[in-house]
Amino acid sequence: MGSVVLEQLRKDFSGVTVLQNINLDINEGEFFALLGPSGCGKTTTMRCIAGFETPTSGTIKIGGKDVANLPPNERNCGMVFQSYALFPHMNVFDNVAYSLNIKELKKSNPLKKIGVYTRMLNSKLVKYPKEIEKKVMDILEYVELTNHAKKLTSELSGGQQQRVALARALVMEPEVLLMDEPLSNLDLKLRHTMRNTIRRIQQDLKITTIFVTHDQEEAMSMADRIAVMKDGEILQIGTPTDLYSNPKTSFIADFVGTSNILEGTVVSAENDLTIVQVGNQQIKSKMKKDKKEVQVIIRPENIIVLNGENDNYDNTFEGVIHLATYLGNTVRYDVKVGDHMLVVDTIYESGANIKQSGEKVRLGVSPERVLLI
Amino acid sequence: MRKIKSLFTGLGLVKLLIYGFFLLFLIIPLLSVFLVAFTNEPINLFGSLISLEQLQTTMNQFKNATLDNFKSIFSYGHYFEGLINSLKLSFIVSIWVLVICIPIAFGIARTNMPFKKTISALVTVPLVIPTFISAYAFIIMFGRAGWVTYIYEKLGGEGMLIDPYSMTGIAIVQIFFFFPYALWPMVAAFKVSDISLEEASRNMGAKGWLTFITVTFPLVIPGMLSTALVIFAVSFSDFGTPIILAPSDLNLIVVDAYREISGFFNWGGAAILTVIMIAVAGFVYWLQNYMLKGRDYGVVSGKPKQVKLIDHKALTIPLSIFSGFVVIVPLLAMGTVILQSFATTWGKDPLPNGYTLDHYRTIFTSSLGNIQNSLILAAGALILSVVLAIFVSYFVVRYRSTTLDFMTTIPLIVPGIAFGIALIQTFNTAPLQLTGTAIILIIAYTIRRLPYMVRSTVGTMKSIKQDIEEAAVNLGASTLTAAITVIGPLMLPGIAAGSILVFVTVIKETSISILMAPAEWAPMSLAIFQNVLRAEYYSAAAMSVVLVVMVLVLQAIANRLSGRNGS
Repeated sequence: MGSVVLEQLRKDFSGVTVLQNINLDINEGEFFALLGPSGCGKTTTMRCIAGFETPTSGTIKIGGKDVANLPPNERNCGMVFQSYALFPHMNVFDNVAYSLNIKELKKSNPLKKIGVYTRMLNSKLVKYPKEIEKKVMDILEYVELTNHAKKLTSELSGGQQQRVALARALVMEPEVLLMDEPLSNLDLKLRHTMRNTIRRIQQDLKITTIFVTHDQEEAMSMADRIAVMKDGEILQIGTPTDLYSNPKTSFIADFVGTSNILEGTVVSAENDLTIVQVGNQQIKSKMKKDKKEVQVIIRPENIIVLNGENDNYDNTFEGVIHLATYLGNTVRYDVKVGDHMLVVDTIYESGANIKQSGEKVRLGVSPERVLLI
Repeated sequence: MRKIKSLFTGLGLVKLLIYGFFLLFLIIPLLSVFLVAFTNEPINLFGSLISLEQLQTTMNQFKNATLDNFKSIFSYGHYFEGLINSLKLSFIVSIWVLVICIPIAFGIARTNMPFKKTISALVTVPLVIPTFISAYAFIIMFGRAGWVTYIYEKLGGEGMLIDPYSMTGIAIVQIFFFFPYALWPMVAAFKVSDISLEEASRNMGAKGWLTFITVTFPLVIPGMLSTALVIFAVSFSDFGTPIILAPSDLNLIVVDAYREISGFFNWGGAAILTVIMIAVAGFVYWLQNYMLKGRDYGVVSGKPKQVKLIDHKALTIPLSIFSGFVVIVPLLAMGTVILQSFATTWGKDPLPNGYTLDHYRTIFTSSLGNIQNSLILAAGALILSVVLAIFVSYFVVRYRSTTLDFMTTIPLIVPGIAFGIALIQTFNTAPLQLTGTAIILIIAYTIRRLPYMVRSTVGTMKSIKQDIEEAAVNLGASTLTAAITVIGPLMLPGIAAGSILVFVTVIKETSISILMAPAEWAPMSLAIFQNVLRAEYYSAAAMSVVLVVMVLVLQAIANRLSGRNGS
């Protein structure tokens, strides 16, 4: 198991730059997510690490070793493909045993090589050695597929196929585990279960894991740290809470969770309180900004609907409910304030009244919760 | 440095070997035959590479190169006549094939004519019968002692209804045995031509037949022309029919070329005829591709529209009768061969005088060697083409190797007899004296049939997703190991179907066998040919039946394999 370091990575595809200035320092045993919309370069970054793409410039180090001259089959990066890429002509056991066969092939004499090749083509003809048998069964037990060892992969459900792919990558004891959108082919409920499974295995084995996803919820719930990517560049690296509470750009604020993003102009900054003019409203923030034109970010759950008793907030706005959406444990209101539409999330307590469209409300936000970018 | 090293290991090496193979056995022979057309005597390109003396000789040959051969072609002599006759034959055959295919194709595509299913099944029969067998079947039907001639005379005719040993005879055999090549593309053209346009025409008041002439027909014309070109090329390259039926006073270019080389050892003459044949075939191929450019005729179409099939009896019954007549001719020909194979003697009578299994006994004793030869040669070609096709399709699909793609289409264009002459000439002398060996025969079969195999394997290859292969590499396999353990097994169904096709076509192969097979490796086709030449019709018939049965069985297996694999 090792760390993964990318320095000044750049990749051009026939003149078009798809990755630039990629610097990552992924610690040993860390669960690291590459998050971004499709086409942002996250998969290309992963394919560079796996060795399927050659970077135009920059270095990649796995476990402290520069891998520039290592072909993909010698990098020891276990990869779980988006489509799983299971071998359809082999059963579950043979799929998982594939990398162990390859290892045996490399250290065998020519005669034994033929035996291993034969086994890879038809495992009924040549028996597996005990240690391979044990290793495969152990890992299958670990992903709860012991009973399916002799089945063809096409006979398995999506979640089972996913676990075969995981077992196949893990059995080679890779330095790094690479996962390319591994949950995107599963239905919602299974996705939640698999999230836990993957996280549990990663924690158990302490295996350095790089996880590519476009789903911020997936990244937030699983990863130790996340790199948000856009247009071939990394915008911000941080822990999930870090990204959520201190997004560096409005793109991240919007991509990681929901945000109210308003354009404003700084009118004064004194007593560690910055006052921003947004339309005909003034908003106070505890954050300091050197520039004049700013973006004001307020998370929906940080806006409080005031009911007349607790309205000692520094920021209060008058608004009209435009739409109320009941979401079970929360109620989301779209509130029209001046020319702006604000999204407000409130905890729903059973028995409480949900406000109706057209109702007038007062909203409050404390200056600590107002971010300026 | 890494790049150079990787070129000589694993897949890089395989690629080099494949290029080497095509260079040695396809490109150089074609180039060499082109040069011989100028030098008028065989040149030894391989010898020139290793011996200075030989190089000197070759250089002298080039110094003495002339344009005499090219002049002779255009001086309206013997060769020119052969070329013109061949072009005439191919032209007549393609026109007639079009004419007889239009009603049948229309009947199958657009009507509910009676016995449509039976007719559709029977039209494939001519495809399994090698043309030299069909040609010889016509002799025993229409010849002086044929049963058709008997009936014709009984009905008051004089002499023969059709003289099989004539241009007309050759044309008729080719028409009745080549029409299926044109039929299916035309059926497809009739199916895809836009129905809504026809409805529009009818909506504007045009009657059914008027719609057909003004709308339907013009819409299928481009598809039909390209189909006609296919028939033109098939007829032009066909060796089996003319070699059996062409009378000595009828020059046809394929027969001339064969005689120049196997009768007179006239290298220069054979070379110039080969160059001309390739030029004509290449031009036709180019023309056909040019016409199809940007069009999607054939089975590829957007949404297949539901066609309302015509039920009108006044149309469907005549169509059915006509189609029945066309498909019955090849059946009668094959039936005649079968009947003859069981006949004690068969004179100028409607039926044989008696029946026996003697002829089969004879061929299974004295000619067993020919059957064995056919099987061994076909198996050799099969193995070689499987290996080549797997790697070629791998490079074509994964690395978009257009050069290899192009090289595997060349054999589609070059007529068999031309390719055979090129090989004989190139490998006639040391250091690579292969002419007259089984090896060069197998290589010739392989190259000639490789395009079919490659088409089949490229199809399967494309259906294997790239990430399957990447997964194997990611798990530690080299690209070669991944190819052997993952890609290979996944391609198996495609390979199986393709290789049976290769096997079948090698058994049917006429031109290469007759031109190149040495006596000790004579395959069935050569044995039948020689029996026909010696007028030993009964054993020829029995051997033909065995050959056709083998082809039928194997084809059925291939159909099942590709049927299960496809869809």
